[in-house]
Amino acid sequence: MNGLDVGKLREDFPILKKKINGKELIYFDNAATTQKPTQVIDGIKYFYENLNANPLRSIHTLAEKSTKAYIDAKEKIAKFINADSPDEIIFTKNTTESINLVSFSLRFKPGDRVATTMMEHHSNILPWLRLKPYGINVDLVDTDENLELDYSYYERLPDDIKLVTLTHESNVSGTINDVEKVVKLTHEKGALVLIDGAQSVPHMKVDVKKIDCDFLAFSGHKMLGPMGIGVLYIKGGIAEKMNPFLTGGEMIKSVRLDNVIYADPPALFEAGTQNVEGAYGLGLAVDYLSKIGMDNIEAHEKELTEYALKKMSSLDNVEVYSGKSRNFGAIISFEVKGLHPHDVAYLLDREGIAVRSGFHCAQPFIEQKLKQHGTARASFYLYNTHEEIDRFIEALKTMNKKRS
Amino acid sequence: MDEMKFYELSEIYKNPPHFKKIENPTYSYEGFSPSCGDNFTVYLKVNDKKIEDASFFGYGCVVSTISLSKLCDYIIGKNIDILNEIDLAKIEALVGIDQINPSRIKCATLGIDSFKKAVTNKKEPKN
Repeated sequence: MNGLDVGKLREDFPILKKKINGKELIYFDNAATTQKPTQVIDGIKYFYENLNANPLRSIHTLAEKSTKAYIDAKEKIAKFINADSPDEIIFTKNTTESINLVSFSLRFKPGDRVATTMMEHHSNILPWLRLKPYGINVDLVDTDENLELDYSYYERLPDDIKLVTLTHESNVSGTINDVEKVVKLTHEKGALVLIDGAQSVPHMKVDVKKIDCDFLAFSGHKMLGPMGIGVLYIKGGIAEKMNPFLTGGEMIKSVRLDNVIYADPPALFEAGTQNVEGAYGLGLAVDYLSKIGMDNIEAHEKELTEYALKKMSSLDNVEVYSGKSRNFGAIISFEVKGLHPHDVAYLLDREGIAVRSGFHCAQPFIEQKLKQHGTARASFYLYNTHEEIDRFIEALKTMNKKRS
Repeated sequence: MDEMKFYELSEIYKNPPHFKKIENPTYSYEGFSPSCGDNFTVYLKVNDKKIEDASFFGYGCVVSTISLSKLCDYIIGKNIDILNEIDLAKIEALVGIDQINPSRIKCATLGIDSFKKAVTNKKEPKN
């Protein structure tokens, strides 16, 4: 057993008490988004009842409170990922916007090369393919039969490499990549590294100093926080060499029509009124996760995943695509033989079990590497239990067998 | 759609009528649903505006497959203009579902959309 009192912490999540189609909800779609504890839900209400004003601009008392809420959230997040300074934290809408920010703001020149991978979410492929018409070459690092990255690519990086970008954990297979090794090899070549942490930051201790990455992108809503708030960490010293992203309010020092002077980062990348409610809520989510302890969460999820994989592999009507890599997280892609993933998701939903089905925004990985038209996906979080997995297995066991 | 209905449809799903390719079709179109991965090519054999044969071939869920199968049943022998009269309600009636869940509407309409695009020869935007 691990150090998590799951029964007690489940009390913090009101939605988990809901009945879906007459059955107790089992929420296994955490890789898509997670549920929110009352600490976050009530906190957002508290923000609007006590702290709301436009931050960083007005000088009245409420505006100062709102500014403090915003800055405090950055400090919490900086500490959470072990960044040196809150100035290394840029608030965005989500991981997608964080990655796009880098693709728009990093100063590429024709002939530069970007390396992404075959196991990426579309949000870490399309921002780079978008650059191809500007003369940027894009490599897609391959994966092997165990859904591991081909690390030999990073050992022989091309000379024109400018940026290496990869996911920390696949949102399809759950493969956890050796990002430290990739960063080390890439830095030796003098290039930058972006880590897509959407599936890792919520589930394990992610330390930007230990990984030594230049960029880390992640989403608030996948880690108990609200939707519409995301983070881009930019290592100190790099942002100064980047162009602005969106232009407008609060990202400038001076605007004379013949001479615009932009603000320093992070303000440079945060044009317009920000999602302060979201930032505040994400700060509360980070408080919650820190109090539980990321190591405890990781251990709990590992135990659940191994339990589920063992049970699923014993079902003759189920094929599992996850769990083959050396290191993997709490994401299990699978199929029920003879059934389309949507139909699997539909039948599980009738039992109150929420899973994702389809391409999971990773069409190249699923079509070309898994050779599938889609998968069903169960993904766990700190509030899931062994009993829920037992009910899930029972539902799978009889699936597509009821009328045959 | 209740579970009973689903299992009734999933029986047809195992061997759906009109699941075949047509050689030298008058019209054909490869329809694709990017969120689900459903991928069907539809075929029409038309003579003097009359649909002599209709079929589909590919891969999809129970809802998209049965919708296509029932659709072929319905349009064969009719004037090609019938395609313009078919909407979601008609597909629900053909399949025998009261009301399709909002998340599955795209599955139900993939077939009719593909048939319409086959005739108008409308291509998906590509980069």
